[in-house]
Amino acid sequence: MIAYAPGETVAHRLDPRSKVAFQFGLAIFAVAHATPRGLVASFALALLALAAARLSPLAALRAYWVVLAVLALGPLVAGLAFGPPWFRAAPALASLASVLRIVPIVLVSAAFVHTTPVRDVRAAIQWAVPGRTGRLLGVGVGMTIRFVPVVRGDVAASREAIRARGGDVRPFYERAGGIALGSVRRALRRADALSVALRARAFAYNPTLPALRFRPFDVVVVFGALVLAVSPLLPGLVP
Amino acid sequence: MIEIRDLVHRYDGEAAVDGVTLTVDAGEWVLLAGPNGSGKTTLVRHCNGLLAPDAGTVRVDGVDPIEDPVVARTTVGMVFQSPRDQFVAATVGADVAFGPENLGLDRDEIDRRVADALAAVDLADRRDERIDALSGGEQARVAVAGALAMDPDYLVLDEPFAGLDWAARRSLLAHLDDLHAAETAVVLVTHDVRDVHERADRIVGLEDGRVAVEGPPDEALADLAAIDVRVPE
Repeated sequence: MIAYAPGETVAHRLDPRSKVAFQFGLAIFAVAHATPRGLVASFALALLALAAARLSPLAALRAYWVVLAVLALGPLVAGLAFGPPWFRAAPALASLASVLRIVPIVLVSAAFVHTTPVRDVRAAIQWAVPGRTGRLLGVGVGMTIRFVPVVRGDVAASREAIRARGGDVRPFYERAGGIALGSVRRALRRADALSVALRARAFAYNPTLPALRFRPFDVVVVFGALVLAVSPLLPGLVP
Repeated sequence: MIEIRDLVHRYDGEAAVDGVTLTVDAGEWVLLAGPNGSGKTTLVRHCNGLLAPDAGTVRVDGVDPIEDPVVARTTVGMVFQSPRDQFVAATVGADVAFGPENLGLDRDEIDRRVADALAAVDLADRRDERIDALSGGEQARVAVAGALAMDPDYLVLDEPFAGLDWAARRSLLAHLDDLHAAETAVVLVTHDVRDVHERADRIVGLEDGRVAVEGPPDEALADLAAIDVRVPE
């Protein structure tokens, strides 16, 4: 699972707002340029983002394998037919082209999570969405980013506990039930403990957040993001 | 001073704390001992307003923790069992900063408090590291630093040695000694007073939610064994 890792890479030094802008720009670009060249350009930009974060593309793909597996269902379902020949290549390929456009966006989001502390994400959200809504959104997103890896760890621990006592010989549905129940129990217990810990440390919806700093290189990234965002209006950009 | 008078706390009608009266003076070191289920954790959670009494009163330097939880939570720092459960950030510095940020302090003051708290537990050079990359003993010290960053006068530690090896226990104890020497009152909750009884000014033993033993260590030790607390042989 990708989680924030402290570092000194180019991506680490960027303001979170620049990184969000780049993600938006790339998403617009990837959706608008549905050609093979557009796809290649999207992947190239995503690989550039991963390189700036010093994050291996394979690690990013592995971390999001569940998302990718769900995406892969799209072309399979699109190709199915209720009668001979049962599977048609043309709609499956069209769906595949759509699905592939999402992969670079997923890769860039991996780079974002890998290089952005949760508090900075929250600060960026509260900057973009002022007031109570932004505070609630910031808390929600911050907690989610922080605790998804923890919950996944709980699921892995439940799975290991079942295997350690020979539970892997049991039918799949029994194992899945055991893992689900064990994980939910752990998650609820952890939520209780966390709630007490938050109160003990005077949890506030409006804490002092880190100062966001816009550096010269952020200007370059935001300019690039703008170009990507308006690229559908620049037909000559990707032939 | 933390003043607890005739405190009663019930879960589903059953008293976990049943009429406890206890005081902790500024700068004192108190051991709160007792077997599992004796009400230790419930009792100390009243000290900074995490639980509300069913009967009785709690005052922290004259303030009711329920009426003014922010004052209570900055005066009494809490370190829970299983430090892993109280971390709210991925890195050491971000987690220690969490409490001061909630107080709305300015960034320079937050940075100063984080630096001081980490220095107090010998983790000043680990500020940017991921917490889950630290050992159990180091994680326990991060939890203490998180409480210290609130600049408390009283530090309550609930079974802080659970799961720690001897070296980690010794290291944590040495840091608690330093804090105590700097006038921070320490309330240590434990079911095993070996290694720690000599440091205490006073030992309070709980059994079935009531104070069963209270006194200086040399007087209290003999009675603690009778309530299933591990004592030195």
